[in-house]
Amino acid sequence: MTQYVILNKTDLDEFISRLAQIKKTVAPVKRGVKNYAFEEVTSGKNVAVKYIPTILPPKKYFLPQTETLQQYDKSKKTWNAVMEFQEMIIFGVHTCDLAGIQCLNMAFSDKPKDINYLARKNRILIIGLECNDYCDEYASCKVMDNHMPNGGYDLFFTELDDFFMVHINTLEGEDLIEKTGLFKEAKEEHKKALKAMREEKRKRFKDEVNVTHNQLKPLFDKSFEAPVWQSLEARCVSCGNCTNVCPTCYCFDIEDEIDLNLTTGVRKRRWDSCQNEPFAQVAGGENFREARGERQRHRYLRKFKYPVDKYSRYFCTGCGRCSRTCMAKINLKETINELAQGAK
Amino acid sequence: MKKPKVAFFDFSCCEGCQLQVANFGEGLLDILNLIEVVEFREVMSEKWEGDFDVAIVEGSITTPHGVERIKKIRDRSKVLIAYGSCATIGGINGMKNKFDLDEIKEYVYKDGAKYFETIPTRPVHQVVKVDYFVHGCPVYQPEFVKVLKCALQGIPYTVPDHSVCVECKLNENECMYDKGLTCLGPVTRAGCNSWCINNGNICYGCRGMVSNPAKNGQMDILEKHNIPLDWVVNKIDMYNKPRELEETETNGKKR
Ligand code: SF4
Ligand code: SF4
Ligand code: SF4
Ligand code: SF4
Ligand code: SF4
Repeated sequence: MTQYVILNKTDLDEFISRLAQIKKTVAPVKRGVKNYAFEEVTSGKNVAVKYIPTILPPKKYFLPQTETLQQYDKSKKTWNAVMEFQEMIIFGVHTCDLAGIQCLNMAFSDKPKDINYLARKNRILIIGLECNDYCDEYASCKVMDNHMPNGGYDLFFTELDDFFMVHINTLEGEDLIEKTGLFKEAKEEHKKALKAMREEKRKRFKDEVNVTHNQLKPLFDKSFEAPVWQSLEARCVSCGNCTNVCPTCYCFDIEDEIDLNLTTGVRKRRWDSCQNEPFAQVAGGENFREARGERQRHRYLRKFKYPVDKYSRYFCTGCGRCSRTCMAKINLKETINELAQGAK
Repeated sequence: MKKPKVAFFDFSCCEGCQLQVANFGEGLLDILNLIEVVEFREVMSEKWEGDFDVAIVEGSITTPHGVERIKKIRDRSKVLIAYGSCATIGGINGMKNKFDLDEIKEYVYKDGAKYFETIPTRPVHQVVKVDYFVHGCPVYQPEFVKVLKCALQGIPYTVPDHSVCVECKLNENECMYDKGLTCLGPVTRAGCNSWCINNGNICYGCRGMVSNPAKNGQMDILEKHNIPLDWVVNKIDMYNKPRELEETETNGKKR
């Protein structure tokens, strides 16, 4: 298998069109005044090759906002499992979002395996796209070690001069290269160009906070009583935006929906969020995380502590979405810096 | 199974929420398979003398006569559904509560004012017990159907107590604040599937506020966006003024 091929930039449009003929293809497209979203495309016309992280991460294709899990019929006393999935190609996934998908894969492959998730995941092909420079000031992908490609894709595109350098990572990826038939073998000069860009990039990307990757975990280990949570308590309005847009938040709620005949119906799951008021409420009305500061602390510990204990991996990708979208302008990098300052 | 007897009533309102039902289209037939509508002034002239399995009440209570009438309806109903913002939170009618009642009455009715008795606007649950709430101005049809199904099964319906932003994000709308507009989504309870924002409008807060809105946090947001407080208070009051009666009369206890 050839590892690297190239695609002329002028052929990108045709490449996307050909992909879309193979199967459903989604890619980043401009949404509104200053945002982007992954949407179905049929040509390269609207595809944004330079974009800041989309409003929702590609998570929405792996774990849709709502999904039917079961069907029931009370008269027949039957429950049937339902699987909803679709073959598709996601084009243009940044390295932070590739990391997000890897985190979800870990969580949903853990026992008990989430069959609905895995069935969907196995039918999605991923084409990554490198950020040669920062998307914006909210990013912290370097300190999270997600700024460079590190697997989790079938093909990976890097934009250079007048061509894309394309890394082939799987047989499925190679198959796409063959079927679309627009690629040429990468020569030594192309590889040199890639190397030169990466060297430049390494200089440009610096730890975005005042602690290093390895210092984050111990910092959060000792953070439970830190004053920063009180400051977030006063500022957060519990809109739930930070968790809904996070590529590694996967909490959901289950809801039964009966049909109008009051006999048949479906069981659905829908995204839920620890920032929502009733999330930690139990029968009797007790709420285990009533204070907003506690909910915020929980969110942070679910990125920087608990998953590291469980999976040896940070569940923050550094994509910056939570800070970008926060109603109260609560900023992840600032929170980390405040914690670090307090720990001195 | 005998079909449950359902009646619609209106108090102070624009009857727009009932219109939402009348406008249901084909789905209405499925609903009519389930229930027998015995009174519905907007679409039929019949009246029913017996008891109701379900009374669906639109409008807020704004007169002494209204108080008496809603009490009688409650006595005759097994289940009572407050329907639409006027009924669930006081809604637009609540704006009256910002003024001295006698003054505002004269302003509206001029010389005729003496013929009208008026009391501060109240949502239905501030006068009689309400079993189900369908918020919204107008109500969001899919939510009404959900509530009706719960009522007919005798199971509770839980109104979402998280912000409209949640639904807005799930729908992947660009935030109104990113467009330079002010939106009441963060303090308004969800359940309408962020209906207005999906259609290019801001959220006006028509479903009422979440049970525990963050006052300080909200102030910060306004400050950051240079939005004057009065302006937002006016916007919130447009639907939510009678909330104050709740806070004083129930000692601020959350419902
Ligand atoms: S986005 Fe900001 S205001 Fe909203 S819940 Fe998260 S931290 Fe709180
Ligand atoms: S916590 Fe924030 S920066 Fe980290 S992955 Fe989630 S949204 Fe991205
Ligand atoms: S956070 Fe890093 S990897 Fe993600 S879009 Fe921004 S620059 Fe690219
Ligand atoms: S548009 Fe309104 S409802 Fe949507 S996220 Fe922004 S503030 Fe919230
Ligand atoms: S978006 Fe806001 S104003 Fe519109 S229906 Fe929903 S709660 Fe009411």
